[in-house]
Amino acid sequence: MQPKLIVSLTLVMLIVVSGLLAPWLAPHDPNLVDLSHKLQSPSFSYPLGTDQLGRCLFSRILYGTRVSLSLAMVIVLASLGVGLVIGCLSGYAGGWVDHLFMRASDAVLAFPSLILAIALIAVWGAGWKQMAIALVIILAVYYVRFVRGLVHSIKTETYILAAKVSGTSPYRMMVRHIIPNIVPPLLVVVTLEVGWVIMDISALSFVGLGVQAPTAEWGAMINDGKSFIRSHPRLMIAPGVLIFIMVALLNLISDSFSESKGFGSPLRRKLKPRVTEH
Amino acid sequence: MSLLIANSLTKTYNNSGWFRKHSPAGKGVKDLSFVLEQGACLGILGESGAGKSTLGKIVLGLLPPDSGNITFNGIDLYQSDRKARKQWRRDIQVVFQDSYSAMNPRMSIRDIIAEPLRNYERLSALEEQKKVAELLETMGLSPQEMTKRPKQMSGGQLQRVNIARAIALKPKLIVLDEPVSSLDMVIQKQILIHLKQLKEQSGISYLFISHDSMAVHYLADQIAFMKNGEFVQLAGGSYHAHDLLG
Ligand SMILES: Nc1ncnc2c1ncn2[C@@H]1O[C@H](COP(=O)(O)OP(=O)(O)OP(=O)(O)O)[C@@H](O)[C@H]1O
Ligand SMILES: [Mg+2]
Repeated sequence: MQPKLIVSLTLVMLIVVSGLLAPWLAPHDPNLVDLSHKLQSPSFSYPLGTDQLGRCLFSRILYGTRVSLSLAMVIVLASLGVGLVIGCLSGYAGGWVDHLFMRASDAVLAFPSLILAIALIAVWGAGWKQMAIALVIILAVYYVRFVRGLVHSIKTETYILAAKVSGTSPYRMMVRHIIPNIVPPLLVVVTLEVGWVIMDISALSFVGLGVQAPTAEWGAMINDGKSFIRSHPRLMIAPGVLIFIMVALLNLISDSFSESKGFGSPLRRKLKPRVTEH
Repeated sequence: MSLLIANSLTKTYNNSGWFRKHSPAGKGVKDLSFVLEQGACLGILGESGAGKSTLGKIVLGLLPPDSGNITFNGIDLYQSDRKARKQWRRDIQVVFQDSYSAMNPRMSIRDIIAEPLRNYERLSALEEQKKVAELLETMGLSPQEMTKRPKQMSGGQLQRVNIARAIALKPKLIVLDEPVSSLDMVIQKQILIHLKQLKEQSGISYLFISHDSMAVHYLADQIAFMKNGEFVQLAGGSYHAHDLLG
């Protein structure tokens, strides 16, 4: 393993674990309003100070990590699952099934993804559930396309023909030959995607469409702090820096995956462009 | 009854997309008819692009012809029901030219050779291991190679593994699509000798595709020359064939 990968993985794990342990690590209740302590500077009992309602910024960031990361993971995994199943079917079966899915996805892909998410949320109403569903739908369409492309290029490989001649059933073909060979390129994309989704969640929550107050979430916290950008910039900077670090680390991980052995295949050149455009 | 009967097989590759509706004369194969007896080897000789592999794929049941039909043991390959298909699939196996790309690079040699066995036979892990070891030995390889990955073997060894996989189910017909073309002369010879022995011992039939007339003459009982997708001349025996090549 490359040092780059080890370092960035360790840091991500550190952030994940501190999010998981938030109830034990946080010095205060993240939602405890205490106006007598509002807008305090960092101190021993408030490591990052307090916000305009006297809530402990450090505790809120810890709890926010949980929300942001778990939402991002769930959204990516759910869309990946859908993408994998439909993408494999579509790519392997070909024919009208393929046509149907491709035309349907063309319609979705005609819109920039964040705009489409906003449109869907506008119809369903703001809230983290609606946001999650909208993002899952949009991402799934991208994954269908991506997986289908990978399956398509693998399906004409000689070893697939050889397996078919050996009497391998379509199901086994998927599980034994096709999926193992698309996991590596998929992993590269998925890691990157988690970073993008963290940004999407933050962006949507920042404009008030995603996670709602008073729940702590990185994007929503930046929104909370925006009125104090001149007097107390740390209210925005702290969650902002965390988003930045997390996305940068995920990019690094994705990068080192794509450079490591075993991922080196003709498929790699297909990975260069981002799966989703934002 | 003859093992394999092909009746004016025609396949044209349709390269026309929505914007290229009428492409010029398509490539593929035209009006191919032949008969292959049990235990015989039909050699298909022709230059690159003649349509040899296309014919091979049709015989393997991988590429439906546009017209014509092909029967194996009296069963039409492209009209058969599920059950019949499962049976002839077992009886028609293949060895491709590029030995490395014919194997899933993530699988071990054992898994590769055992794949057809797992699809058709219920063997315990121990029986399977024994069977794979036997097959490797038949092909002149050590059973220790079982744990290796394709990347760790030479082209010649890999081609032996491919043949071992092809004979695992004791098929009646093997399509050999240039099985030795990418190997050096010494190894070519060894493998050809091996193939000939297999044929004589087990009465297996071959459709032997090649552009190397020496190899075809060594193995084939009957030779068909292909050019631009058609048979130019069907020669029985190597003597005629030699004459035709000049
Ligand atoms: N999938 C395909 N789509 C379109 N055209 C094809 C396809 N496969 C083969 N062809 C064309 O059909 C012709 C015959 O191809 P084929 O592979 O059967 O030739 P071949 O005799 O096996 O040649 P080689 O000795 O190079 O393997 C070629 O001109 C080739 O370009
Ligand atoms: Mg060929």
